[in-house]
Amino acid sequence: MNERPSILDGLDPEGRVRESLLETLGIGRTELLLAALAGAATWTAGHASHAAGAGLTENDTRILRFDLQLEYLQATMYTQALRLGHLRPAVRDAARVVGAHEWAHAHALKTILGRRAVPPGFFDYHGVTEDERAFLRTAVAFEDLTAALLKYQAIRLDSRAVLAAAISLHSVEARHAAWLRRIAGVLPTLTAFDRPASQAKMRDLILSTHFVAEDPTTGARRAPGFTG
Amino acid sequence: MHPHPAAPKTTRANMLRRAIVGSGAVAAGAVVGAGIPDESFSDPSPAQDARILNFALQLEYLQARFYAEALRSAGLTGELHEFARVAGAHERAHVAFLEKHLGRRAKTAPPLRFGEAIRDPHRFAAAAVTLEDLAVAAYNGQGTNLTRPALAAAVEILSVEARHAAWVRDLVGKLPATRAQDPLWSATKATHKLMQTGFVEA
Repeated sequence: MNERPSILDGLDPEGRVRESLLETLGIGRTELLLAALAGAATWTAGHASHAAGAGLTENDTRILRFDLQLEYLQATMYTQALRLGHLRPAVRDAARVVGAHEWAHAHALKTILGRRAVPPGFFDYHGVTEDERAFLRTAVAFEDLTAALLKYQAIRLDSRAVLAAAISLHSVEARHAAWLRRIAGVLPTLTAFDRPASQAKMRDLILSTHFVAEDPTTGARRAPGFTG
Repeated sequence: MHPHPAAPKTTRANMLRRAIVGSGAVAAGAVVGAGIPDESFSDPSPAQDARILNFALQLEYLQARFYAEALRSAGLTGELHEFARVAGAHERAHVAFLEKHLGRRAKTAPPLRFGEAIRDPHRFAAAAVTLEDLAVAAYNGQGTNLTRPALAAAVEILSVEARHAAWVRDLVGKLPATRAQDPLWSATKATHKLMQTGFVEA
């Protein structure tokens, strides 16, 4: 993770996130954001090696594999919506930044998991990424529930190094949720206390969307992160 | 940029604070963040929970008062008014929760003075961004120092602070989330940043 300027190369092989960031935010802000992403990934990797040195527990591995697949599912949705969604400017800006964050989260989790990382699943968004309203509604549901899920998982993680990383992702997911809610025209907050939600709840949401598709070559499902 | 700085030794941190904010403010800062370890990996205990949650309570007192006073004197209108009303109600609920949780161990509010920040909408919004981002980083930094029951309560509060931060940042045209990971501030850094606002009287 020393190649700071090319941090997004690994996350964004087609260069779409980088291109859209450059386009929207201008060079100054983009450089700041890229540096921030690079710093974040480096830092997580530092904590990750600490965790990996001690060996991730089965429990933490299961949690992180679930989260990795969830980040892939969301990141891919943002990338696709940017390509297909004919988004108005405010929605496009949010999708660009939030999408870049989700790719960075996926990369960070992949780094922590090392050889135990799950590969990205095959996703079919059934037109949601082509329709701005449906996309926004879906993104809000996922961001709200991801923030809730990370709360549920935080007190169940064994490793404090992994917990530190999870905490720093958690508040960003809450920021995403508030941002997208405001754009969608609903109150950015829910109540004075954001409640946790279990992995089973997240699995229900994912199943209800039918976003996880079959492998087009083998017909097999490739989303082991959601089955554990 | 490094969100988890090597924990500075107390003496060095104190010297730094003295240099920047003056010794009077150090005394107040020392009260606000008293007894919280800088190390993000010190062993959790109920006694440490109480120290950390008292620190959180000071932040919540400050935010609750800030919104209450701004609603009276900052001339807020439209969505900014709605933000202050909603966030203010949340901060009051956080104060009530932490006071109840801490019981007789709850400390009283520090002396506060918001000056120009509660006298016009622009300064109010800028101060709200600072305070909400500060609260997120301060809570985040203590996450690994808490026992699990205290952590469960803290994360329910902290993501609401993150929502406030994103909301008011978007309102003033700033990116609601600038990084993929939010920073984890040590107690020393959080206290220092808090004293820098000038809202806590020396």
